[in-house]
Amino acid sequence: MPLASSTTSNRAPWRIGQRALFLLLGASLLVLMYLSLALGYRLYAPTEIWGALTAFDGSETDVVIRDLRLPRALMAPMVGAALGIAGVLVQTLARNRIASPDTLGLNAGAAFAVVMASGIFGVASLPGLSVAAAAGALGTSFIVFGLAAAAGGISPLRIVLVGVTFAGLFDSFVNVVLTVNETMLDQLLFWLAGSFADRKIELALNGLPFVLVGGVLAFSLARSLDILQTDDSTARGLGVPLGVVRGLSFVSVALLSGAAVAMAGPVLFVGLVVPHAARALVGLDHRLQIVAAALVGALYTTLADIVARFVIYPREAPVGAITAIVGGCLLLVLLRRRAA
Amino acid sequence: MSVLSPRLSPALLRLNRRAWIAVGVIAAVALVVAIGGIGFGSTWIDPRRVVEILSGGGARGERVVVLQLRAPRVVIAALAGGAMAVAGYLLQKVTRNELASPGVLGVIGGAGLGVVIFLALLSDESNSLVTSIVWQPVAAMIGACVAISAVFLLSGQQASSAVRLLLFGIAVGAVCKAATLILMIVGPIYRTTQASRWLAGAVNEINWGEVQVVAIGLAIAMVGVFAVARRLPPADLDEVSARGIGLNLPVFRILVFALASALTALAVAFAGGVGFIGLMAPHLARLIVGRPVLPGIVASFLLGAIMLIGADLIVRVLFAPTEVPAGTVTAVIGTPYFLYLVLRRGSTNG
Repeated sequence: MPLASSTTSNRAPWRIGQRALFLLLGASLLVLMYLSLALGYRLYAPTEIWGALTAFDGSETDVVIRDLRLPRALMAPMVGAALGIAGVLVQTLARNRIASPDTLGLNAGAAFAVVMASGIFGVASLPGLSVAAAAGALGTSFIVFGLAAAAGGISPLRIVLVGVTFAGLFDSFVNVVLTVNETMLDQLLFWLAGSFADRKIELALNGLPFVLVGGVLAFSLARSLDILQTDDSTARGLGVPLGVVRGLSFVSVALLSGAAVAMAGPVLFVGLVVPHAARALVGLDHRLQIVAAALVGALYTTLADIVARFVIYPREAPVGAITAIVGGCLLLVLLRRRAA
Repeated sequence: MSVLSPRLSPALLRLNRRAWIAVGVIAAVALVVAIGGIGFGSTWIDPRRVVEILSGGGARGERVVVLQLRAPRVVIAALAGGAMAVAGYLLQKVTRNELASPGVLGVIGGAGLGVVIFLALLSDESNSLVTSIVWQPVAAMIGACVAISAVFLLSGQQASSAVRLLLFGIAVGAVCKAATLILMIVGPIYRTTQASRWLAGAVNEINWGEVQVVAIGLAIAMVGVFAVARRLPPADLDEVSARGIGLNLPVFRILVFALASALTALAVAFAGGVGFIGLMAPHLARLIVGRPVLPGIVASFLLGAIMLIGADLIVRVLFAPTEVPAGTVTAVIGTPYFLYLVLRRGSTNG
């Protein structure tokens, strides 16, 4: 009977309840994105926002809404969705509930690659920097998982320790590049704090294809990932090409977290928190998990971005610091519960 | 009780003597490295002349370079490296965890948070402190001590697992760092720059006044260290056996945490968050001098000093004239070593 029920759920994963849930999440996201346009140092009425978006007339209100608020209202959900999906994949790949693009060092690797590309090799184009970020994340994932495999079946906790150590190493490399190249420091310091503020709309548009490709790739791997989360021999027995699935998953994770880092800088622990929420909502089916993680992640970062504007009003906190506090506390809770 | 006392066993006495000879050799190496560190710079000063200048002779121009510019930097590096190493030694002993060090147990993050809270709370409207700046290192120590105690309390039973304890430390450290970032923005701009300079550390702008502050603080802390050192071997035991020989382990632990926090806060205040010295120096010390505690502490101090002077020397050779933090070198050397420890199979529990 369990077999039968699992096949039905495989055939029709979009049950009414889940469809309603996704609709609800999507609707909340739209509301939050609207609030992201309206709330901040100044509050704007719906008519002002509508006017700025449809009939731009160069007034101060219109400029603030179109050039300052709109980019972050678009970028925050993209970054959240990307990191959320990447978190789901990474937690399945590492079979580890405290794995994430941050705790495995992938985001730090991406950030280091961006700093290297622009500081040492003079890459200035936005797609170039995104590619560099993805390459950095991919390289780091190979190093971290490679080391773990070479050491032979180390416990999942140790993989996280390895990842965190690499993150620290990349951070100090970034410091070296920034100290040697002081003109870069001013441009990059704000980016390195992790924030959606003062980003140009081009940055968001440039990240979009990376997020889309990474997300679609992740979704197409979902069935294999369902089997992969059991164990290697079962997966092999069911005819899942482990190497191919893992390799493609890493590519997807690299595209997603690379794009996120290139856009917003390191927004910490989003990829750790979101998969837990997604699993709590929809269970272990990866197709549902990925969609839920995308929506929840988008909601989470958009909300965090709004909170960041008010938590030390009238100044603005870097959103990365807000998510780091939430994520760090969740990590403590998970460790205490021995969830990992 | 007499069986437990290390004093009376002839075998241990012999072990101790060998350990102290090893310490003497390390001290000689430290001296050579320090003189080399002073000699190296934009102009190379011969070691013999460095010794001559330090003992009161030498030409006037070189005296200024050596005594005002280079010696303070080397001395502060030695003191900070040594303090980190001793902190690491204490933490490794008392947590019975070979992977422990101030950096990974949230101590450095806590110290930073302590400072920014101090600056944010005790500044008045016009951005000036309402109390003496002398209390800033104290705030750092309190922050550090609270952080590491939190790590221990939160981890509870899991503290016996080396890897789990570290993960708790990393999580607490991350939260502290994020809170620090937010408070730095809340605080007045002037204080922010001061705090960030403090957090980043700067060996390059050291004067003798600051050396004096560190030296005095360190001397006081070291008195405490040697006082608890006599009790350290039994702390290698678990809680029940410790109680059996009349040692209140939880209280003793807090005491050691406070000392390690004080040492770390002093080091971080003047040399910045230099990673891995607190991990590597105690390991190397135990490798060279073995189990005896007092020689182990002295050897850790000296090896930590050698490491930080050496790291500072390397960044000066490679990156001059820019001031790359010495922590980069220790990170590059320390990371592979730490990974080796973590990945070694069956090495540590958990």
